[in-house]
Amino acid sequence: MTEIKDIPVKVEADSGKDPVSDLGIKKRTNPLANVFDELIKFCRSRSLFMLHYCTGCGAIELPPAMTSRFDMERLGIQPMVTPRQADILLVTGYVSVKTLKRIILTYEQMSSPKYVVGICSCTVNGGMYWQSYATAKKLDEYMPVDLYIAGCMPRPEAVMEGLKKLMNDIKSGKASNWKDYYQNYDRYLGNQQHLFGDNWQTPSDVIGEANNYELAGPGTTGEHTARLEEYQRPLEPITSHFRIGETVKENDSTNNNNNDTNNNNDKKGGE
Amino acid sequence: MSNNIVKWLDQLVADVEGVGYQRKSDRRIRMDVASDTLPTLLELLRGRGSYVHLSAISCVDWIEDDEFELVYHLWSYESNTLVSAHTRIPRSPGIYLSVFDLYHPAAFFERDIHEMFGLYFEGSPDMERFILTEWDGPPPMRKDFDAEAWVNRKFNFQDYHPDWLKELEEEGGGVAIRPDEVRAKKKAGDSKTDSSKIDRSGANKV
Repeated sequence: MTEIKDIPVKVEADSGKDPVSDLGIKKRTNPLANVFDELIKFCRSRSLFMLHYCTGCGAIELPPAMTSRFDMERLGIQPMVTPRQADILLVTGYVSVKTLKRIILTYEQMSSPKYVVGICSCTVNGGMYWQSYATAKKLDEYMPVDLYIAGCMPRPEAVMEGLKKLMNDIKSGKASNWKDYYQNYDRYLGNQQHLFGDNWQTPSDVIGEANNYELAGPGTTGEHTARLEEYQRPLEPITSHFRIGETVKENDSTNNNNNDTNNNNDKKGGE
Repeated sequence: MSNNIVKWLDQLVADVEGVGYQRKSDRRIRMDVASDTLPTLLELLRGRGSYVHLSAISCVDWIEDDEFELVYHLWSYESNTLVSAHTRIPRSPGIYLSVFDLYHPAAFFERDIHEMFGLYFEGSPDMERFILTEWDGPPPMRKDFDAEAWVNRKFNFQDYHPDWLKELEEEGGGVAIRPDEVRAKKKAGDSKTDSSKIDRSGANKV
């Protein structure tokens, strides 16, 4: 397929092998491969799991769109409760700076391919909160957005219409903005750092994922990702103390406490 | 019992010098006091006047007078009366006493006011960031804070893309099938053909 060819292939300089045959998946000898790709795209567009991050009033329009009146499920779109199993991230309504942090964390937890739909004017341009000091204006500065559904608020028909357009885009391979996050991670991270400060960290390793998907390009790393390493804190082991004696024997707590302290002292001595 | 308290408090507070006492209605009392006597007044109201519930502390920025106005809303379950204790403090040092020792919920209100107005409460247990955890500017609820200038400096706005509209218009606008057209079609279709055929054509069009 043309798309997979477009993906830049990272080749080590000193390997004498042919890069295409080395990776194996790039060279397509099977004539049925294209058919399978089309089939996979069709199936993907017909079974979408939607995580709706209901930040604002646009969430009101989703229950009628999902339930019996407009019935999203006849298009194959179902709500999903966890980000790790979801395909679409639906951001409905205004995005405050504090919420944006959580949205980015949610987005990075989703597995690729993933699609972001911004519903309502607020995600496009701040909407009626354009003057607010605490509301982020453009969602697509912080994560790649595939589709905007404008309106304040858009009716369920418009939501369905937008999701149908997304389905068509997935089927035709047009909806590939999720790759942009890996290819231009430095730019997105720079915008995030502009709001959250230089020490902003996310638990997911986006650069590693970009390498895994073979999408790492010149825009993946840069000055902002260097800052990421600069402010990274080393992992510390979590220490937890379980005092079983306190719950079991509540009557003579003094003895138990003495025992516990003794045990702790023993452990420290042993270490 | 409750009537006694109300009568007693009315007489007492009206007689105390320096307390502006106004009975707004049956259940609302407004008191204006100087900033140094307010803790004493709250102690009296709580200890002797049964005003045990601090509903809220609100803050008003009177920038022309160069003053902050703090309003303590107190509720009594005995006499079912709301007391609003108003006091004014100068804007420039912006430091005032906490009433955390009298009313523990005050910690939250004072933390909020500290974040939004930059007013510092001495003796409050926690003056850390509360809601605006990523905030790095001046306190945003002050009157001299220009939100629009801040927004223009901090955020970018979406450019106007007329070509997005063109794309939509080529596809027939936001609404694919107008409901009245569907109804007209159905009426026309019922006489001529099967209704199921028309439904299928409608679905294709969408």
